[in-house]
Amino acid sequence: MTYLRELYASRELLSNLVMREVKGKYRRTFFGQLWSLFNPLATMLVYTVVFSVIFRARPSVGDPSGTDIYALWLMCGLLPWLFFNRVVSGGLASITGNANLIKKVYFPRMNLPFAVTGSTGFTWLNEMALLAVVLMLFGSFVLPWIPLVLAFMALLALFATGLGMMLAVLTVFFRDAQHFTAIALQMWMYLTPIIYPITLVEDAADKYGDWLLTVYRLNPMERFVTVFRQLMYDNRWPDLIDTAWCVGWAFGVFAIGFLIFKRFENRLARLL
Amino acid sequence: MSSPPPPAVVVDNVSLRYRMYKEKNDSLKTALLRGRRSVHEDFLALDGVSFEVPTGSTFGLVGRNGAGKSTLLKCLARIIYPDGGSIRANGKVASLLEVGSGFHQELSGRENIFLNGSILGMSKKDLTRKLDEIIEFSGVEKFIDQPVKNYSSGMYVRLGFSIAINVDPDILVVDEILAVGDAAFRAKCAQKFVEFKEAGKTVIMVTHSMGSLKEMCDQAAWIDQGRLVQVGSADSVVAAYMASVDEGK
Repeated sequence: MTYLRELYASRELLSNLVMREVKGKYRRTFFGQLWSLFNPLATMLVYTVVFSVIFRARPSVGDPSGTDIYALWLMCGLLPWLFFNRVVSGGLASITGNANLIKKVYFPRMNLPFAVTGSTGFTWLNEMALLAVVLMLFGSFVLPWIPLVLAFMALLALFATGLGMMLAVLTVFFRDAQHFTAIALQMWMYLTPIIYPITLVEDAADKYGDWLLTVYRLNPMERFVTVFRQLMYDNRWPDLIDTAWCVGWAFGVFAIGFLIFKRFENRLARLL
Repeated sequence: MSSPPPPAVVVDNVSLRYRMYKEKNDSLKTALLRGRRSVHEDFLALDGVSFEVPTGSTFGLVGRNGAGKSTLLKCLARIIYPDGGSIRANGKVASLLEVGSGFHQELSGRENIFLNGSILGMSKKDLTRKLDEIIEFSGVEKFIDQPVKNYSSGMYVRLGFSIAINVDPDILVVDEILAVGDAAFRAKCAQKFVEFKEAGKTVIMVTHSMGSLKEMCDQAAWIDQGRLVQVGSADSVVAAYMASVDEGK
């Protein structure tokens, strides 16, 4: 309990650390915060040209929204993924990258991975707000679903932070972890139906057996991406089973990450 | 007659072991190759150190380089945790082991005051209240809205020190950082320590300057090779320590 109280007492530090990231990142750039939007836009352009124009991937038509635009369908899955990716790799580096601070000042160390989530989340909120506006311009009336979208954003943040905290501790012991994670995340993205629809996997499962789809859907990010598409692209209630998986993954992984981090927190300064 | 106040800090039989591996320890390969065998030597950085720091005193730690002073200071500051023994503090502890830790180069001096202050444990309310005092004390008023990367090293250190000295803890833990800034700034710092003492606060410091130790501290502990050699009044500890240094020559 004292631990949680102390963590709560340091919330001003957390907001200052978040501010340091948010304000410091685009200092002395002409476009400032706009850069955080250019990046996903460029990614969207590349994937749309490659997969929609060249490979002719067809997204499913939004049901009941009726939206049928690959770029928008892509972004409903890509933006959550990019957030997840940045929180995990940023959280992983949050301890080794702040070694100097950890060795010189006492403060609840958990604020460091939390600050990564906070600053990345700030960017993500901007991206999602822009996406919501564009979705509404193109016929997907996402407005009533925004509270639910925010709730799932919070769940994904918990999931990503938990994973980031585990990897942060692992990286202190084994610096190999960061290089391994970079590769794993890259593969993970292609194992998640972000740039291609899950119907492709369902077709394959019809051919090779249902186990393929079962295994494929063990991927937590598949559930999250599916739910975000149901809410934003289709405009319908998320599937209950998917929701249960998302909640379970989020709280489970966060709790494990929290406990691991707490256990090693006092030793970090000596290990760095 | 009232009983004396409880000690500010009780250091009780503290020991700390550094494990020195023959090879570098932080890659997966070395861990796998080493397997279950662990090839290491133990090095006792602190070995059963016990003493009490009276409330309201200024307490100095002396000893040769590598004697374990800074390790002890880090334990007092809760940055590292001893393997054995315990440290109990009565009151809020703040540490000044390095000035300007956590400064963000691209942010202005003013923004860094809030960032660094909150890292040191100050609330936004306190910082807003003390902002003018901090800026004035640092003497960088003219540049306070410039990014700190444009600061001279003196300005950088002075700003960092001004923030830290305004944390206002019950117990302040200070490493050899009193030698910052020019003579005028050092005089201001010394004045600040006097005020601190008058307010009944406790200061624990490491210093190699016997002059400033005798001048500022009333109590001192001498540490050598991780063991406590002597603890007592600053004058007697300094005399004994200096005698041993002269002998060593």
